[in-house]
Amino acid sequence: MNADSISVIKVRDILMVTMPPDPDDPTVSALQDKVLSAMERYEAKGVVLDISSVETLDSFFARTVSETAQMVTLMGGRTIIAGMRPAVAVTATEIGLTLGNIETALSVDRALDMVTSKPRSKKLQ
Amino acid sequence: MNAAAQGEVQIQTESDIVIARRTVREAAAQTGFNLTDVTRIVTASSELARNLFKYAGGGVMRWRGIEDKGCLGIELQFIDQGPGIPDTGLALQEGYSTGDGLGMGLPGAKRLVDELEIQSVVGKGTKITLKKWRKS
Amino acid sequence: MAPHGEIMKTQMRPNSGQKQKSAAAKEITQNSDLLQLLVDSIKDYAIILLDTDGNVLTWNSAAERLKGWKAEEIIGQNFARFYPVEDVEKGKTKMELKVASEEGRFEDEGWRVRKDGSRFWANVVITALRDKNGELRAFGKVTRDLTDRRQNEEKIKKQAQEILEMATVPVVQVWEGIVLVPLIGTLDSQRTQQLMERLLHRVTETGSPIALLDITGVPTIDTQTAQHLIETISAVRLLGAEVILTGVRPVIAQTLVHLGIDLTNVITRSSLTAGLRMALTILKLDVAPLKTL
Repeated sequence: MNADSISVIKVRDILMVTMPPDPDDPTVSALQDKVLSAMERYEAKGVVLDISSVETLDSFFARTVSETAQMVTLMGGRTIIAGMRPAVAVTATEIGLTLGNIETALSVDRALDMVTSKPRSKKLQ
Repeated sequence: MNAAAQGEVQIQTESDIVIARRTVREAAAQTGFNLTDVTRIVTASSELARNLFKYAGGGVMRWRGIEDKGCLGIELQFIDQGPGIPDTGLALQEGYSTGDGLGMGLPGAKRLVDELEIQSVVGKGTKITLKKWRKS
Repeated sequence: MAPHGEIMKTQMRPNSGQKQKSAAAKEITQNSDLLQLLVDSIKDYAIILLDTDGNVLTWNSAAERLKGWKAEEIIGQNFARFYPVEDVEKGKTKMELKVASEEGRFEDEGWRVRKDGSRFWANVVITALRDKNGELRAFGKVTRDLTDRRQNEEKIKKQAQEILEMATVPVVQVWEGIVLVPLIGTLDSQRTQQLMERLLHRVTETGSPIALLDITGVPTIDTQTAQHLIETISAVRLLGAEVILTGVRPVIAQTLVHLGIDLTNVITRSSLTAGLRMALTILKLDVAPLKTL
């Protein structure tokens, strides 16, 4: 497996990044480089990270994604993680993975809706 | 799967972590765990296998099917000859390790399984044993 | 006509001693043959004889079909061959013969092993056979394969479990994009797990970005329950959906504050109606009266 198993597609001014089902550590590390260079090349407004195929989300993956999102923010973009599987969400919650302030969406469709509209404030009271 | 199923995976390179995950996934599924429990077991194994690779200079992961009073389960052992853990009690404390909502460490793995035991000697090595039982 | 099942006694001719003997002998042989035919024809029960040490004396075709051994392969061997190794090591087979010998019979349900090593669930009755003097001559063993019945029982148990789960943690889709969980009773660890799994599944399945978690039916809330709720809410938010906690009654609100539970990141409302209104607002939907014609 290598970095090519991560697909990065430009859709208008958004980057659609799709993760493979069980990426090894080098592939996960490659995610950061690929996303950031694509952000620069296309001057994208944001990144939608599709993890609907991902079966295991451990701390290494979570940390890399979180760092990448912070970097994307610094480059003026927004990151949305889409399609997390229920089993992954349950496990992640139990081990205390919160993914920080990264936004999440039920599906890639909804993520695209979110990115193309105003940023939704998490706190609605 | 009958209780005699077992196996081991040498963890020496980065790609062995993936092999460990896949082996555990299949073993857990064969034992009859539901998807969420399989995910828990695989996630815990991924963390501990990576620890073996990153901090212990490699090691071995062993797994086997276990049974107790008609209840089936799985046992995983992560064995290395690394530096050892000086204070295992501290290492297992909730909130230890990074605490940024990202680090997992042993407290996280402990939450995913039913039993977790650490045997460690500084300078000699560590053996971590995990057990998870199917809810019958 | 003789009642069903009773062996007819042949009429004995008076004064024909020799003929009497041979007629009686013929009857015994005939009945003996018929009994043999009975034992051999029964398909569902393995009926065999064991000697006083438990070695196989006789076999029938059902026994061959059930356990896999042919008569010539198994006669003379000990019946411990039919038991799992762990049972034999515990001394189960010796115990069974002992009980049968002392009480007259022993009955058991458990795993047995076929010739090829595969297991089946069996009902077994071992009967002590004593002669007129009360001396133990042999044991009779009748074995029935209950694997099918057990499989059906397991299936029914599993279905009952699923129904119970659905009833105790119902997750209902009340509108496009909104699911409702009317929680009743307290939340222990096991129920929380069930709740999380069911709720997350429904949210993903239906693509509902809003989950209404109604706790009107939760009588008391302690730190544990509150933690479980927060955990569930975290998991749903991780998926990309939002949770509105409804039915927060005064007593619950007081308890939560006194316990120092932090729910500032959670949308809460006192009633389900208020929660539903909030959900519709988030989804940019409105409820309006029908225009009369």
